[in-house]
Amino acid sequence: MTKLQLSDVAAAPVPILAHSDAPPAPPARRRRWLPFSAWHLVLIPLTFLLIVPLLWMLVTSLETEGEANRFPPVLLPERPRFENYSEAWAAAPFGHFFLNSALVTLVVLLSNLVVCSLAGYAFARIRFLGRGALFVTLMATLMVPFQVTMIPVFLIVKWFGDNVWAGLGIDHIGALMLPNLATAFGIFFLRQFFQTVPVELEEAARVDGTSRLGVLFKIVLPLSLPALSTLAALTVLTSWNDFLWPLIVITSHDQMTIPLGLSYFQGAHRVKWPLLMAANVMSLLPMLLVFVGAQRYFVQSVASTGLKG
Amino acid sequence: MPEDAPARRPFAVLRGLGRGESVTGWALVSPAVVLIGVFGLLPVLMSLQLSFQKSDLLTPETPWVGLENYRKLADDPVFVEAIKHTIIYTALFVPGTMLVGLFVAAALNRSVRFISVYRTAAYITMAVSTISQGIIFLWLTDRDYGLVNAALNAVGAPSQPFLASPAQALYVIVAMTVWGWTGFSVIVYLAALQGVPAELHEAAAIDGANAVTRFRTITVPLLGPANLFLVVWLTINALQLFDEVYATTRGGPLRATTVIVYYLWDRAFVQFDAGYAAAMAYALFVVILVITAVQFRLARKHVHTS
Amino acid sequence: MIRRRLCIALVAVLALVLTACGGGGSSPSGPTEIAVWHGYQDTEGEVFKGLIDQYNKDHPDVKVSELYSSNDLVLQKVLTAVRGGSAPDVAYMFGSWSPNIAKIPQIVDMASQVSNADWKWDDFYPAEREAATVGDKIVGVPALVDNLAIVYNKKLFADAGIAPPSPTWTWDDFRAAAAKLTDPSKGQYGWLIPADGSEDTVWHYVPMLWEAGGDILSPDNQHAVFNSEAGVKALTTLQQMAVNDKSLYLDTTNENGPKLMNSGKVAMLVTGPWDLSQLSDIEYGVQVMPTFAGSGGTHQTISGPDNWVVFNNGDKRKQAAIDFVKWLTAPEQVKAFSLGTGDLPTRISVGQNQAVVDKMDENLPGSKVFVENLSNVKKVRPTVEQYPAISEALGQAIVSVMLGKDQPADALNAAAKAADEALAGK
Repeated sequence: MTKLQLSDVAAAPVPILAHSDAPPAPPARRRRWLPFSAWHLVLIPLTFLLIVPLLWMLVTSLETEGEANRFPPVLLPERPRFENYSEAWAAAPFGHFFLNSALVTLVVLLSNLVVCSLAGYAFARIRFLGRGALFVTLMATLMVPFQVTMIPVFLIVKWFGDNVWAGLGIDHIGALMLPNLATAFGIFFLRQFFQTVPVELEEAARVDGTSRLGVLFKIVLPLSLPALSTLAALTVLTSWNDFLWPLIVITSHDQMTIPLGLSYFQGAHRVKWPLLMAANVMSLLPMLLVFVGAQRYFVQSVASTGLKG
Repeated sequence: MPEDAPARRPFAVLRGLGRGESVTGWALVSPAVVLIGVFGLLPVLMSLQLSFQKSDLLTPETPWVGLENYRKLADDPVFVEAIKHTIIYTALFVPGTMLVGLFVAAALNRSVRFISVYRTAAYITMAVSTISQGIIFLWLTDRDYGLVNAALNAVGAPSQPFLASPAQALYVIVAMTVWGWTGFSVIVYLAALQGVPAELHEAAAIDGANAVTRFRTITVPLLGPANLFLVVWLTINALQLFDEVYATTRGGPLRATTVIVYYLWDRAFVQFDAGYAAAMAYALFVVILVITAVQFRLARKHVHTS
Repeated sequence: MIRRRLCIALVAVLALVLTACGGGGSSPSGPTEIAVWHGYQDTEGEVFKGLIDQYNKDHPDVKVSELYSSNDLVLQKVLTAVRGGSAPDVAYMFGSWSPNIAKIPQIVDMASQVSNADWKWDDFYPAEREAATVGDKIVGVPALVDNLAIVYNKKLFADAGIAPPSPTWTWDDFRAAAAKLTDPSKGQYGWLIPADGSEDTVWHYVPMLWEAGGDILSPDNQHAVFNSEAGVKALTTLQQMAVNDKSLYLDTTNENGPKLMNSGKVAMLVTGPWDLSQLSDIEYGVQVMPTFAGSGGTHQTISGPDNWVVFNNGDKRKQAAIDFVKWLTAPEQVKAFSLGTGDLPTRISVGQNQAVVDKMDENLPGSKVFVENLSNVKKVRPTVEQYPAISEALGQAIVSVMLGKDQPADALNAAAKAADEALAGK
């Protein structure tokens, strides 16, 4: 391997390509200056700090109502009250809510991944007429708060329900999907990350006759797995936790999603904290599973890209 | 899988292909344009219309009042205060979240055992609702019963009112939201750090550069696109802060944490003056647009993207 | 290939969506369906659903469905629904919104209905009737009534050797007791007030204003008069406790009152019956509000009645909704609801039924005092549409005085000016 100067870095990632035939560096060398266990000393307190709210949720979910109604809060319940979980589950048709939430999230996720990839790539790499103005216009939709746009969105969705298909209209989960099928956020996010894919790879393929779409699917997307999986994780999070829009649009129990179900525990004068937190913890679990499952895509897999790791 | 990546680099040929691409470009963006156009732009335009009317969201009659709402804005002392608070908040929140996020992401970007557990923890913090976050912070910073004051007292410092104090409340909200958004920043940076080839670090280490120098000269420049994304997105969100204020101080005490979107929500749904709220949203929109445009312009000059 | 897998996934999902959205048909000729939006949960929710089931059984030509929606958010939901043409038939709405929702065209004016003798309109407490009346219109039928009283921790009083609040207490007595019960070393306070500047803060101040002989607005509702001598006197009392004695805990979160009470950190709370069930860990007593020395000694308190509001979705649904509300608020059902939930009875006849009140007190100690306290509600907040603006000005003034940033007279004068502007500008 030729010796790389620091100044080469920004200018040409290309040299890496030239050595795709060389054997991969042994992993041990990469870890030479990582004192294996010492990092845990940093990571553990850091993580603890970050997850304090979650710990509080867990603790509260195991308390009795009396204990939860104390201030300062009780940090260790006398006896962990696991019944809170079964009671919370029984308080509302959560099974149905889970299904609705899952369906909505799945559709929104897939739609965003597809639509935002196409658009993100176009904005990142293709010079087309009006690209700049269009990008700005789309970004503008991120700059007006939902509290202001929610009534017009409601009216538009209602129109769809009345004129296109009832399943898309008010009081159906289709209405929860429709306004979120693509977001400027996703486009902006992917545009940024697609720009980090070495353009030489794309150009090489195109010279070979691959179409733009082909380049997108064969080169850019495989190299962007961390970005795609990150967008997926964020989209799942936003969709799963969306509360205000479902609140306004859904009025039938069988179309409700989980956050609406959670609001069952929030009364006018009183919040049933233990049950609310139990339900909250239960609703986090699917997202946790999704994230854990997607973990391996967060790490750029060397083998799948042919790049030297 | 570019197994057949050629050794030649015919850049010149490729340049010529740039021109006739408008059709392809538009074809690729059309699904997004349709969806966002209908469900994003149309409502934005419809709300613009609302800003020229007097509406209480109750009566169907919404008389046209032209620029009256905007004129009222200029004379509204609370709006001016809200602007001030929003600016201070944004100026502290954005760099704060980016720095903390970068630090944590760098720490998490290791092949240490259980690293996925730590990363999952960072991710899952984003799943905690702002209501829960609010409650926890209200408790932690409580003047009489909070842990922060307990710690301060233990080292001899006096208890602070924090969220109950007009002077301190906004800064506590900054701390609270930086904490809440760190997970997001971490996730974005982690994805970006994955794109930094390890060989560059190895080569530089061979050259004798230490970890900090390597971070500064290799990693940071390659984080350009991620940085731009975060700066823009965090700014857009900071300028529209609402949830955390609603969950804790409700704009108080004595309006110390009243930010623009909170004020406009209050005008629309508590004071029933929706036209005025829409005007406020539009004034804010223009500001966000300008700031974002400036950010992109600056980025083009300084950030190196391929 | 990713692409193919994505396509398959999309198709599968679409298929699922299609089947899932199949349901929800409505029968053209069948029972009239009406939707009721409310904010009841657990006990209240169960009792309410029980009432609905009973009604549905007794009236096979009507099908009442209910939807839970948190009360704080129901206004946004209703406003959006009304604009979109999908309003409910009946909704539970805060009384303070009455003057504003009166402007919604779809709201049914109940004035012509309730004038019928069988509604027994006068059997509702005066405050409720006033809160539902906006000018000539009656926007709803009383759904809930409550009031404020002193809830105190018996043990803390006993430990400090102070006599518990009595029916003859003045605000001076209250202040003295609060001061004695405050112990900074233990983090203990005499009493607590919600101090976020919202209507919650304001309605704690208003009974004091009334008891001192003052009023919020002039009789013609044209200008603010709360900056009178009486107003300053009432606010000064708060100032003395908050700033001088430091016996008044300012709860800017608005939520910690019952929690601190339940943890034994606060000796007294001026609150309503809804908080009683949260005080499971202490022994509490309930007493009427204090009076001001030298005033009429009426122990005035304030009530926050809420209403069932009926929407016009066509003649058939409208009539079905009116019939349902009439049944729901009839003395028989009010009695059942109060006994089942502990909520105060909205009807005088039920409130004066000794057996009912005793039973309620047995279920939830202290209820009796709250029921009897209903007769101490002499005035209501003005039902003018600018009330939210007046409340805001007054709320900020009260908080700034309690935080020690302003003097009562100055703060009230400034607030009165803002209120007058709101009343004039409309």
